[in-house]
Amino acid sequence: MRIVVAEDLYLLRDGMVRLMEAYGHQVVATAATGPETLDALLTWRPDVAVVDVRMPPAQSDEGLRAALDARREVPGLPVLILSQHVEQLYARELLADGAGGIGYFLKESVFDADQFIDALERVAGGGTAMDPAVIGKLLSAGPSNRRLAALTAREHSVLGLMAEGLSNQAIGRRLFLSESAISKYTTSLFGKLGITDDDNSNRRVLAVLAYLNSP
Amino acid sequence: MHQVRSWVASAAVGFVRACVVVAVTMLVPAVWAAAVALGIWWGAANPWSWLAPFVLVCVGTLALSRPVCRTVRHLVARWTATVLPDGYRQAGPVTQMSTGFWWNGFGYERTSRDALLDQRWRIRWRDPANWRDLRFTAIAPLTAGVVAAVPVAGVAAAVLGFSQSALPARLLGGLGLVVAVAGAPYAWRPVRPVAVRFLRASAAMALADRVDELTARRADATVTQAAEIRRIERDLHDGAQARLVALGLALATAEKLMATDPDRARALMREARAGAATSLTELRELVRGINPPVLNERGLVDAVRALALDSPLEAEVGADGQLRLDPPVESAVYFGIAELLTNAVKHARASRARISLARDAGDTAVVVEVEDDGRGGAEVRAGGGLAGLRRRLAVFDGTLEVTSPAGGPTRVRMVVPCASL
Repeated sequence: MRIVVAEDLYLLRDGMVRLMEAYGHQVVATAATGPETLDALLTWRPDVAVVDVRMPPAQSDEGLRAALDARREVPGLPVLILSQHVEQLYARELLADGAGGIGYFLKESVFDADQFIDALERVAGGGTAMDPAVIGKLLSAGPSNRRLAALTAREHSVLGLMAEGLSNQAIGRRLFLSESAISKYTTSLFGKLGITDDDNSNRRVLAVLAYLNSP
Repeated sequence: MHQVRSWVASAAVGFVRACVVVAVTMLVPAVWAAAVALGIWWGAANPWSWLAPFVLVCVGTLALSRPVCRTVRHLVARWTATVLPDGYRQAGPVTQMSTGFWWNGFGYERTSRDALLDQRWRIRWRDPANWRDLRFTAIAPLTAGVVAAVPVAGVAAAVLGFSQSALPARLLGGLGLVVAVAGAPYAWRPVRPVAVRFLRASAAMALADRVDELTARRADATVTQAAEIRRIERDLHDGAQARLVALGLALATAEKLMATDPDRARALMREARAGAATSLTELRELVRGINPPVLNERGLVDAVRALALDSPLEAEVGADGQLRLDPPVESAVYFGIAELLTNAVKHARASRARISLARDAGDTAVVVEVEDDGRGGAEVRAGGGLAGLRRRLAVFDGTLEVTSPAGGPTRVRMVVPCASL
């Protein structure tokens, strides 16, 4: 894949470039500020971009804004946002356009390189990948909590993994269950929540996230 | 019937109060009148007839002005619940020096009794409040005193008029009685506005009080800050630093084992990775407690929105535009709202909350209201969380009001003045 890496700390940027090259991907450009990021995204149109939220010049949320601006310009441009902290607020802003191709992770998710690269590839394919921390917050939030009370513990964990953006097959691997068992669970929980089941895993994730986000 | 009785009661009370006001405010003029009378009685030929009244007026006025003012303050506080701070100078401590002499803030005295006496007189006669008291004793009889004298004079006129048999005198007496009865409930009242206007602390005194208050707040703020810094140091020392040491150790061991026992080396690497993730989580919590990253990245309103999203309550946030305040104020308000939401969940067992952030009409302050549908009964107790929050806001001259009847709903209103809106 052709990747753009936007990160202001040299050590992290360098480490990420090396990691991606170790997995056989090509880093076509790097950026260290908000404007540079927007420029690189629009110039290179990468298969996927890895973008840090906080960057110079103002050390606020430049990276996030650059990613959102680029996606307004090029709808569905795959972006994976990395940050030292995850906020539901940012997750909602990223998912608002419903075009998919969005990832949102804590920086330490790169510790598990296999899973990180896997998520990166999913985002590049137009899918959605969310950090378990974001999903945990969404699942524990108040309003949806009462509606989630109808789910069994197993269905709850399946819903969480589904919201992270995993396919039935991947969920099965995580929970040590067969894919057919997982699809049984998904059917029943979609029934309980009143969401239309969709075979396209990205649309499915967006439906779940929209459900969790709805007040 | 009931109305008539209550009106009679208020007239009686008012008449007594009017008498008291007349007695107190006319005390100093009475001394002057006595002095003039004395002079006339001795006659112009007697050389003392000029000097003695003069001395009597000076000494009487100076000695009586403070007791009169104290009494008026006391009466106003008792009748109208308007507390007027007296603003007199307070005596400082008297301490014995290593030389054996006593220091009282003005000079050294041989014994503590002398020092105390000296201090008392100096404070009494150097107090700028004396001028204010003198001014009041001159003004009060001409304002509140005159008005309060109306019912008293009316009663006197009635007594005199009815004691004579002539018709005009009787008519005059009846008129006096009517005036006395009609004016009785109201005649004492002007004493309050006059006292409020002329017995207030002067600008200098108010300033001195303000300095004391600010000194106390500064001490508060510095103590709180020092405690915070100590807490952060402890957290870093026991948490992240210790973990990083362990991480280095594990990596060093793994490096050693690489050649001889690759399986154990791999296990150690995995451990190290888990350790790094844990210390990051700890650091993230710590950072959130010092200064939430969203506040840095987005400012107050979005930070509060993020807070509401993370809260288990159904919380809606209303804000007019993006308020950008000074970072310290922003931080205080943010943590205040966070604490109130936590209270709503933990103590009030609320399920919904409404947070509104707005500027006040004059654009001089930011007004934050947090409302929940919990069971109420919240109050500001000494040493409690709300009292602490009030203290933290007071550093910026902010205020916190709580209305929380039992059974709810609880409403907390924070107002922080800021010119930088």
